[in-house]
Amino acid sequence: MTAALELIGVTSGYGSSPVVHGVSLQIAPGEILALVGKNGMGKSSLLKTILAFLPVWDGAVRIDGRDVTRFPPHRKRALGLAYAPQEQALFQDLSVRDNLRLGLADDRSFEARLADVSGWFPVLTARLSQRAGTLSGGEQKMLIVARGLIAEPRLFLMDEVTEGLQPSVVDRLADVLATTRRERGTAMLVVEQHLPFVLGLADRFAVFKRGEVVDAGPVDAGSAARIDEHMRL
Amino acid sequence: MPDLATVHDVTAPAPLSASSRPLLRVAIAALVAAAAIVAGPFVLDTYTVNILVRAFFVAIAALTVDVLWGVSGTLTFGQSAFFGIGGYALAIVFTQFGFGPGEAMLAIGAAVGATVVVAGLVGWLSFYPGSTPLYASVISLVLPIVLVQILYSGGTFTGSSSGLVGFESFDLTLEAWFRLSGLAVIATLVATTIALRSDAGRVLGAMRDNDERCSYLGIDTARVRIGLLVVAAVIAALAGFGYVGFGAVAAPENAGFVFGTQLVVMVALGGRGSLIGAVIGAVVIEVASAYLSSSLPFVWELIVGVAFVAVIVVLPGGLLGGLRDIGRAVRRRGAAASAPVMLRTLEQPDAAPERDAIVVEVSGLSKHFGSLSVLSKISFTARQGELVSLVGPNGAGKTTLIRCLADGRERSEGSVRIAGHSIERLPADRIVGLGLGRKFQAASVFETLSVADCLRVARVRRERPSFLKTSPVLTLPAAARAVVESSGLVERLGDEAQFLSHGLKQALELAMVLALEPKVLLLDEPTAGLTRAERQGFAEILTGLVARERLCVLIIEHDLDFVRLISSRIIVLHQGRIALDGSVADVVDAPLVREIYTGRSASDGCGVTP
Amino acid sequence: MITLALDIITTAAILFIVAAGLLIVFGVMKIVNFAHASFITVGAYAALMASRFGLPPVLAPFVAFLAGGLIGAATERVVVRRLYRRPLDAILATWGLGIVIGQLVTLVFGREVQFVPAPISGTLEAFGVDYSLYRLLLVPAALVIAGLFAGLLNGTRLGLSTRAVIMNENLAQGLGIDSTRVRLITFGIGCGLAAVAGALITPLASVDPNMGLAWLIGAFMLVMVSGGSLLTLGLSCFVLGGLQVLASTFISPILGGLTIAVLAAVALRLRPQGFARA
Repeated sequence: MTAALELIGVTSGYGSSPVVHGVSLQIAPGEILALVGKNGMGKSSLLKTILAFLPVWDGAVRIDGRDVTRFPPHRKRALGLAYAPQEQALFQDLSVRDNLRLGLADDRSFEARLADVSGWFPVLTARLSQRAGTLSGGEQKMLIVARGLIAEPRLFLMDEVTEGLQPSVVDRLADVLATTRRERGTAMLVVEQHLPFVLGLADRFAVFKRGEVVDAGPVDAGSAARIDEHMRL
Repeated sequence: MPDLATVHDVTAPAPLSASSRPLLRVAIAALVAAAAIVAGPFVLDTYTVNILVRAFFVAIAALTVDVLWGVSGTLTFGQSAFFGIGGYALAIVFTQFGFGPGEAMLAIGAAVGATVVVAGLVGWLSFYPGSTPLYASVISLVLPIVLVQILYSGGTFTGSSSGLVGFESFDLTLEAWFRLSGLAVIATLVATTIALRSDAGRVLGAMRDNDERCSYLGIDTARVRIGLLVVAAVIAALAGFGYVGFGAVAAPENAGFVFGTQLVVMVALGGRGSLIGAVIGAVVIEVASAYLSSSLPFVWELIVGVAFVAVIVVLPGGLLGGLRDIGRAVRRRGAAASAPVMLRTLEQPDAAPERDAIVVEVSGLSKHFGSLSVLSKISFTARQGELVSLVGPNGAGKTTLIRCLADGRERSEGSVRIAGHSIERLPADRIVGLGLGRKFQAASVFETLSVADCLRVARVRRERPSFLKTSPVLTLPAAARAVVESSGLVERLGDEAQFLSHGLKQALELAMVLALEPKVLLLDEPTAGLTRAERQGFAEILTGLVARERLCVLIIEHDLDFVRLISSRIIVLHQGRIALDGSVADVVDAPLVREIYTGRSASDGCGVTP
Repeated sequence: MITLALDIITTAAILFIVAAGLLIVFGVMKIVNFAHASFITVGAYAALMASRFGLPPVLAPFVAFLAGGLIGAATERVVVRRLYRRPLDAILATWGLGIVIGQLVTLVFGREVQFVPAPISGTLEAFGVDYSLYRLLLVPAALVIAGLFAGLLNGTRLGLSTRAVIMNENLAQGLGIDSTRVRLITFGIGCGLAAVAGALITPLASVDPNMGLAWLIGAFMLVMVSGGSLLTLGLSCFVLGGLQVLASTFISPILGGLTIAVLAAVALRLRPQGFARA
């Protein structure tokens, strides 16, 4: 079966300094992979590389078997890829409605999709005309996730979506993502530092250290301890 | 105590003193050109000589544009205004008072005086901390427009739109004018070449490459730019003086915006930054215009326009730049083109180890953007001999804190004292003077300068550079020299910084900052992108700096292994506040830190709150 | 007094129409299109051609928009696209483009000054004075243009994409917006609008290959001061344009021509980012 996402020996970086060193990984359709590791280790850069915000110096990126390494960022969207960046992920001055609209390629199915959003995060549909910048931190993260899911993506890349969230919101998020995967078969690559959240959600994990995958495996009872070893201060 | 007797040559100096060989080449070229100028009138016809005299004066103005734009990076459309001021000063004085030696002195005095005042004013308007290059260009655009309007409204005093004619001017033969103007071009070219090649002149290239880095090396770039503008303006004014003195006509077109842009076009086509390119571009275009604009009026300008656009888009270096690139591709890349450099260690008294004074005092520091609070009531002190690591998750405010320490205008509230002096609202270059050195996360060096020149610019604050010569000796404090030697930079002193690997650029920047002889060193993620070996070397250098030189080092780091290895103290920032401040042992295993980093709430439910 | 007030309002309207295209390009693409002047000229000559071909005068602005838009899109594709990372060079290259376009116009049409008859002549009695009807009509024209733009920007999907690109180009790209296409369309519209301005002002001024230049600097300074907001542009046109009229009337017409440039330069010194968020 063709992988939803496949990275083969991908190397990239900023200017003259490499931050991703020959990374290879695979995500099967409908699979959730947790990418964990300490700050500054290159996880966000890896996501940016998949999207082609960082130029790929070596290696290949494949989505559903298709080589998309050189595709510019906006074309990746059309392949069913959704991305929730860690910083500057919303248009602060646009309304919640407009931010959600931008999650879809056009407005035709927007109203229908709103019903879905309402099911996931009712607080968002209650605040459609509010400026995104006036939402609380938690609501903003919910909006980012809703925007990613609204187009029913095949692959959803998330970068630290639980950062700064209350436990109750984190639980809701985990629920929504798990349900979406179950009902729509969405594959996910979740970059996270919040281990309980991501280990409760993912099928497999990979530990990222200084631009490389140093450990990986299925999520089971021993995974938390294994990851802890790498994350120790 | 290091003594000067330990000076050793790193590279043996060449038989001829290092700086004089290129000077010799310049002198020879100048003599050849001068001979050509003297011989010129015998060979060329009168019409050509006439055109060339004007072209030479215009070339001098174009040269000033290149100095400002190509060399120091300020796009200016306003040099025509100073050209016009010089010319009109002559015209007005000779019209009002007639011609004579006294009147000539008055005219020169008026030209220079008015230019200095106007240029000073324009400089003050354009170059201030926080100004953008675009704004400086905007002002340079407005200047000639304002000047022309003033000329238009000046009635018979300025001749309005028809300009001033019919005044008596210098009575020289055409041949004499030719030689005078031609030699003036050569003299100006030689003088600017020498000045820009000198150690002081390097600073201009450094400002063009990286203005921020210059500020953080203690250079008041605004003042340098204003000074440079005044000098360039006076030279352009004198060129205008000659132009109008020759032609005996002063017209507003010589002072206007269109002429100002033509100068830019000439420099762009000839090759910006090359100096001689400006002269060639100006002469070629002036001569071609004179010959072609009568036979092919519109087509000629069209050709120039197309060539200009093509050059800007495809060949930014102009004609000479293109030739230079070809030359470079033929020569080996990175081959040391400049003279060998000798390293010398600065004699410094040992810091007395008992007196580790407090050098950083932060009290109640806060920073907000509108209602968004990035830093809240940060307070801590740090002493000489301490290596303090600043850690914390993304968005905790670490880089913002560094910025607030290095630039007095950044913080919203609170006070900061460096080496006992409050930083008030001082700009970065003044705080460098208090003893602060800042190293940026992305290696911030001068890409087109050689390694040795980068280091020389870093020493400018401590040692006044020569305006004439390139010193073959580079004096560095022991710490900087240690970095240069241990990193291997010592073998690459002549290479341009842009050809260095990432790790070497980081080392270069560190050496540059250490060359400032700082008491406090701020480092922002210095190990990002370094190999394991480089990281090891770096750790050794840092611990050495702290132990021997008693520097106070504040370092932002994500690599917690590295932090554990080198720090004497760790400060944990979280959501803009100090969460913990203590020794390595205290902090490393604290449960709060674990929570901040992994989001693992203990089972008693104290989770991370938004 | 009334005449003065009407002068101010109509001048503000004219300035707005001229500057709007430049603002749109600057707001979306963050570069200054110094070829704007030549597109004004293109529009004027398009109107001239339209009248020569016997088209009804009311169609002239549309013809101009088409001409300006197509030429603008072509220049974006060939020249401007390569200069996004070099904003100062973009100013120079577009200036060069302006020269090229201006020279081409001269080659085709000759250098002499032409006149286009006003589609509507005569005066209207307004508030007790007789005032040029055509000038007065430019006020609603400016409002229509502003309205069309606001509508386009806020009411259409393209407008939403454009606003997204303005706010955060990377994020917009990550959401599937082809920012290159947005820039192409924006540049084309900006140049088209410059051409419309040219067509609209021809009855008021003569038509010659260099006519656009006089407007360029003023429009540029107004755009810099407005910092990217159409609304602030309108206000700046009103305030600075008004001061220009007052200076021209009470001090001297020549110095009045300086007002916008000088006051804008001072304003920018105080607040370099412009006044959009004031």
